[in-house]
Amino acid sequence: MTTKRRDELLVGMLLLVAVVLAVGGTIWIARGGLARGYPLYARFPWGAGLKQGQPVLLAGVQVGFVDQVDLIPDGTITVKLQVQQTFKVPAGTTATVEANGIFGDQLIALTPVKGSTGTIPAGDTIPTGVGSPSVAALLGKGDSIAVNVRTLSNEARMQFVDSGGVRDVRRTIADLTKLVAQLSAVTAEQSRQLTLTQQSVRKTLSSVDSAKVDSTIANLRATSASFEQLSRELRETNSRVQGVIEKVSNGPGTAGRLMNDPAVYARVDSLLMRLDELAVDIKKNPRKYINLKIF
Amino acid sequence: MLGLDLVLRLAERRTGGVLHAIGKRGYFARDIVRGLRDPETWVPEMIRQMKNIGVDSVPIAIIVAAFLGGVTAFQTRYQLFPGVQLSVVGLIARQSIVLELGPLLTALVLTGRVGARMTAEIGTMRVTEQIDALETLSFDPIAYLALPRFIAGVIMLPVLTILANATAIVSAWLILILATDVRTADFLAGLRLAFSTFQVVYSLIKATLFGAAIAFVCSYEGYVTEAGAEGVGRSTALAVVIASISILVLDALVAAVLAPFIQA
Repeated sequence: MTTKRRDELLVGMLLLVAVVLAVGGTIWIARGGLARGYPLYARFPWGAGLKQGQPVLLAGVQVGFVDQVDLIPDGTITVKLQVQQTFKVPAGTTATVEANGIFGDQLIALTPVKGSTGTIPAGDTIPTGVGSPSVAALLGKGDSIAVNVRTLSNEARMQFVDSGGVRDVRRTIADLTKLVAQLSAVTAEQSRQLTLTQQSVRKTLSSVDSAKVDSTIANLRATSASFEQLSRELRETNSRVQGVIEKVSNGPGTAGRLMNDPAVYARVDSLLMRLDELAVDIKKNPRKYINLKIF
Repeated sequence: MLGLDLVLRLAERRTGGVLHAIGKRGYFARDIVRGLRDPETWVPEMIRQMKNIGVDSVPIAIIVAAFLGGVTAFQTRYQLFPGVQLSVVGLIARQSIVLELGPLLTALVLTGRVGARMTAEIGTMRVTEQIDALETLSFDPIAYLALPRFIAGVIMLPVLTILANATAIVSAWLILILATDVRTADFLAGLRLAFSTFQVVYSLIKATLFGAAIAFVCSYEGYVTEAGAEGVGRSTALAVVIASISILVLDALVAAVLAPFIQA
């Protein structure tokens, strides 16, 4: 092969590679791949920041990209979406423009509806849903909140300033301050008294002789032992008395018969009556029974 | 007539020879265009120059682009503060490479590699009186020497820029997925974000202008070389400087004129 021929071939190859790279690369980047997918359309009243290449998400999964954004004469934005062939958009799905990050980037969010059957065919227009609030809407909300806050502050001023509420509050605070001061004084006094009491208790405790305490405890122990002895003896005495009473109550002896036999009681009673009569008679006629002669 | 001559003398004195220099280059440009009438003279040489300028420069263009893309992507990733979407890296890398760095750095590299050689070749022919010999043989030296280089530069600079852009983008992608937390999906999302075909055309317009500037400046400086071997060296250095400055000026001009049309 001649040098000239070789040069021509090399140059031709380089040109071919460059053309393929330029055309293929451009198509690949612009279309999101060499397979184009199928188009869907959406119309929005506002599309700030929408541009070609932005992602199209179906339930949060990227299924395509924004292919074209056009302003049509009625003032709305028509967006052409390219959706990959492997993804089908369910019927009833709505499209909204959502913020993608915090730097003004946008995306198209396709939100499917539960329970719907069928899919949106290629070339159809997806209904527009309710998008996330815009900055203007948020500012409007902020304004209404500010108005409410201003009303509340006016009301508070009327209640607290104009009607003397603040004066009352100040007076109450002053009274509270006095009360707190008094409480503090009382607390201080109580604390002082407690300190003194604590000191005297400590002093008393320190003055207690441990030897005396020991001897006292020993005496207490001895006394306790004596009490125990006494208790034991009382218990024995009690049992003996119980035995005696048992014998008296149930026994055939004199005491038992005296207590249990009615005949004995009758005789003792008659005896006592006769003794009474005798005593009366002795009082009446002492000389009858007592004849005392001296010398 | 006397008045016009006086005005021209005054203008030359006031402008320090700039008008004279521009005029000479204008004549050179005119002769290049005139050379188009004689394709038998320039077509065979053009293929050889295309091989010299394009095919032989592919390795250096790819090496420069590979580092350019990798460094651009790496720097971009680590300049982002937390909270910024990682796909931004792909967007910034693409815009930087395609719109600016790809054509500009390729042109500057080729100024050193191809432009200097061009000036030295033509300058040597001038000082060894080969150009005079061509004229004696009724050959148009500009159609034979400058025109093929000019056309080769205009064609091959865009070709090399396409290769450089592709290489730089692939390099950026590789660096990002291998050395950073950016994933392929993030990079591709950014790469496709706000892309328009005109961005590629813009890059090629720049490359075409840069190729024309390199070929024109370097051919002219070689063609007007004087004073032997020393003159060749001086012309070569001057050609590289002028071509580099011309490239930067053209870059700014193209950006000022076409930048509003870039956005998708």
